[in-house]
Amino acid sequence: MLADLLEPAAKRVLALLPVLLGVSLLVFALTAVGLGDPARAMLGQRADPELVQQIRRDYALDRPVHVRYATWMSRLVRGDLGTSYHQQRPVAEIIAERLPATARLALAATVVAVVGGLAAGVAAALRPGRLLDQVLMSAAVLGISTPVFWLGMMLSLLFAVWLGWLPVSGYGDGDWANLVLPALTLGAIHTGTIARMARSNLLEVIRQEYIQTARAKGLAEWLVISKHALRNALIPVVTVIGIGIADLLVGAPLTETVFAWPGLGRMLVAAVGQRDLPVVMGAVLVFAVIYVLANLLVDLAYLLIDPRIRRDR
Amino acid sequence: MKGLRLLPLLCLLLAAGPADAQGGKPVGTLRGVFISDPPTLDPAQATDTTSSAVVRQLFDTLVELDEQLQPGPGLAERWTVSSDQRVYTFVLRAGVKFHNGRVMGAADVKFSFERAARGKRPWVFEKIVGAPAFIKGGAGEIPGVRVVDERTVELTLAKPFAPFLHLMAYDAASIVPREEAQRLGPGFASHPVGTGAFRLKEWRRDDRVVLEAFAEHFRGAPHLERVVFRIIPAEITRFNDYKAGNLDVTDIPTGHCRAVKADPALRAQVAIWPTLGTHAVRFNVEKPPFNDRRMRLAVAHAIDPSAIVQGLLEGCVIAGRGILPPTLPGYHTGVTAPGLDRARARQLLAEAGFPGGRGLSPITYHFNTSDLNQRIAELLQAQLREVGITLELRRLDWAAHLKVVDEGAVTMFRQAWIADYPDPENFLTVLFHSRNIGAAGNTSRYRSPELDRLFDQADVMPPGPARFKVYQDAEQRLLDDGAWITLYHYASRALIRPAVKGLERSPLSTAPEFLAPLRKVRIE
Repeated sequence: MLADLLEPAAKRVLALLPVLLGVSLLVFALTAVGLGDPARAMLGQRADPELVQQIRRDYALDRPVHVRYATWMSRLVRGDLGTSYHQQRPVAEIIAERLPATARLALAATVVAVVGGLAAGVAAALRPGRLLDQVLMSAAVLGISTPVFWLGMMLSLLFAVWLGWLPVSGYGDGDWANLVLPALTLGAIHTGTIARMARSNLLEVIRQEYIQTARAKGLAEWLVISKHALRNALIPVVTVIGIGIADLLVGAPLTETVFAWPGLGRMLVAAVGQRDLPVVMGAVLVFAVIYVLANLLVDLAYLLIDPRIRRDR
Repeated sequence: MKGLRLLPLLCLLLAAGPADAQGGKPVGTLRGVFISDPPTLDPAQATDTTSSAVVRQLFDTLVELDEQLQPGPGLAERWTVSSDQRVYTFVLRAGVKFHNGRVMGAADVKFSFERAARGKRPWVFEKIVGAPAFIKGGAGEIPGVRVVDERTVELTLAKPFAPFLHLMAYDAASIVPREEAQRLGPGFASHPVGTGAFRLKEWRRDDRVVLEAFAEHFRGAPHLERVVFRIIPAEITRFNDYKAGNLDVTDIPTGHCRAVKADPALRAQVAIWPTLGTHAVRFNVEKPPFNDRRMRLAVAHAIDPSAIVQGLLEGCVIAGRGILPPTLPGYHTGVTAPGLDRARARQLLAEAGFPGGRGLSPITYHFNTSDLNQRIAELLQAQLREVGITLELRRLDWAAHLKVVDEGAVTMFRQAWIADYPDPENFLTVLFHSRNIGAAGNTSRYRSPELDRLFDQADVMPPGPARFKVYQDAEQRLLDDGAWITLYHYASRALIRPAVKGLERSPLSTAPEFLAPLRKVRIE
C-alpha cells in the first residue's frame, strides 16, 4: 500500500519543478511588461530623480530582465528568496510570518466547508425534491454567488456590531473567537460547491444496484448511506475539497481585508501595489507549491479511497 | 565659514523652559488605527504617512511644530540664526536619553543627519553646505553639519532658506543613536531606538503596532501607558470596530460623513478640520492640446467643483480654487481662479480652433485607482461634455500612475498634493519650478523663467509677509495661466471618543494616522 502511494507522490514532486520554473518565468515576464517602477514606488510622491536611479542601480533594476531572472534563480537554488525592497527584510521571513495566519484561516474555512457542505448535501440527497432539499440547495447557490466582501460585512455587522458576540476584526492573540467570522465568510463559497456536488453524486450512487442489494439485505439506512453510498459518492467531492483548500490558502485577500486578517493574500496584494518584486515572486512561488501539493494530496486521497484506482494504475 | 558673522544679529532665541513633565504614572491605552502596515520605522527610510505617524512617537527632532504650525523647541532648547540667515546654531537640552539609556549629544545629530541624507528623503538636507556631494556619494561627510561641543551643533546652509526650521521639525530629521543604527543595520527599521515619549513594545506585521511609555523622556513620562495601533485596511471595518467600542479614534468612511454627523450616537464625536492638502486637475503643458493656455482655461471654466464638494464629498472638505490650502501660512483670500462659466469655456475652445469641440480628439484623463477618484473622473467627464470636450478615463494603480505622470506620458491627470511642511515653497516651488520637472514634483512640466526667479527670490527672503507676497504673485500667475485646477482642499474627517483628551488637530495631521504628538494625549 505504502509503495503504491510513494511512487505517484515522487512523480508529482518531480513534476513540481517545471511548474515552478514556468510560474517564476511568467511572473518575472509580467513584471517586465507591467507599468510602474519599484524604485519610484519606494520613494513616495516626491522623488529625487537621481535617487531613483541610484536605487535602480542598488537593486540591479537597471539590468536586463533575463539577467535579473538568472540572478534571482541562482539565489533561489541556494534557498534564498531575496530581500524585500520595502521592508529591507528577507522575503522568507516575511512569508513565514504570514503563513500561520493564512493556514489557520484556510483550515478553519475548509472545516466549515466540508462539514457544512457534506451535511447539507447528504440531507438534501436523502429527501430529493422536498422542501429541505430546495432550501438547502437554494442556500448553497446563495453561498456560491454572494460576494465575499458583502457577506463578510453583513456577518460582521450582525454578530460583532449589533449582537457583540464576536470581534469585528483582527487576529487577536490567536483567539478562536477572531477566527469564526472570517472562516464562515471564506468557507461559504466552498460549502455551497461541496453541498451541490455531494448531493448530485449521492443521488447517482443511491440509484445503483449494489445499494438496492444492500437495502434488500436488510441493512439500516444510515449504514447503507455511510458505508456503501457515501464512500463512492465522495470521490469527485475529494477533488473539489482538495482544490478548494488551495483556493482558500491563496484566494483569501478579500476576506483578509474585510477582517484585517494578517495573511499571505493581503500581503501579496500590497506587494504588487508597491512593486515589491522579491515579495511578489516569493509569494507566487509559495502559492504554486501549495497548489501542486494540494493536487498531489487529492491524487493520494483517491488511492486511499478507491482501491480500483490502485489496481488499475 | 570663519568669514561669517556668526554673532546672532538676527536672533530667534527661544527659551525652552524646563522640560514640561507630564507628571504622574502613565495610565490607560489609546487604541488607534492605521490603514496599512508601516513599511519601516526608520526615520531615514520612511516615505509614507503611516510610518511617519509611528516615527514621530518614537523619535524627537531638534525643533517641533505646535498646533499653529509654529516652530518651538524640541531636542534643541534654543537656537540662533546668523544675520545672513545661513548659519543655524542649535543648543541641545542636557541629559536627554535614548531608549537604550545613553545620553544624546551633538555627535548624534551629525550622525543622524548624514545617515538620513543618504536615505529616502535626501531633499530635507540638500540645502546644507556640502550635502549634495555627500548625498551623491562624492564626499565622506556633510561639512555644513558641525559639532561645536557636546551640546551644540551648527548647520550652515549654502544659501538662505526660509522654511529651514520647518525641515528640522520634519520626521526625516529625527535623531537616532549611532551605536544602535550601526549595530542593527537594516534591522533598525524593525527595532527602532529613539528619544521619543514612547518606545516600540511589539510589532505584529499587518496586525498591530504597540508602543509603551518611555518614563525617562526629557519632558517627563507621557500620560498614556500604551498606544495600540491596529492595522485595518477596509474603512468600513475601521468604522465598525469604532462603533463596537474597539477603537478610540478612526476616520469617517467615504460617503458616511453626512450620516455620521446626523447620527445622535456619533455626532458629538465627529471632528473635521482642514489639512494641508489639495486635490487638483493638472495638465502636461508640453503636449497638445494643453500647450495652449486657452484650452487649459476652457477646461477650468467648464468644471464645477461644488458638485464634487457638496455632492460626492457631502460638504466635508473645503471648497476653494487657489493652489494653497486655506490653513497654510501664506494663504491669501484675494487669489482668484477661473470659475464656472460655460459660455466662456465654449468661447475659449472656439478661439483655440475647436468650436463646439469639433476637431478636438478625445482627451485621456489619468487617475489612480480609488472609488472616489473614479466618481470624480466621471463627474468631470460629464461636465466637460457639456462644452464639447470628450474625456476618456484611464485608471491605473498608484505605481503605474506615478510612472506615466512622471514621464510626461499623460495630457490631463489627477494630482493631489499634501504639504510635507507648512510653507508655500513646499507647494509652489516643488510643483512648478522648472528644476523639479518630473518625479521631483513639477509633473505639469511647467517652465517659466519669471516664476523660477520669483521662487528663487522667495527662498532666500526672511520669513514674513513680504515673502508670502512673492508666493501670492506666483500663485496668481499660475492660476491665470490655467496651470492648475483645484477641485477641493482636504479636511481630516475623524471620530474621536469623548474620553480622549489632548489629541491635537493640526493641519498636518490627517485621520486615521494622526501625526500629532501622543505624549499630550490622555484618557479620562
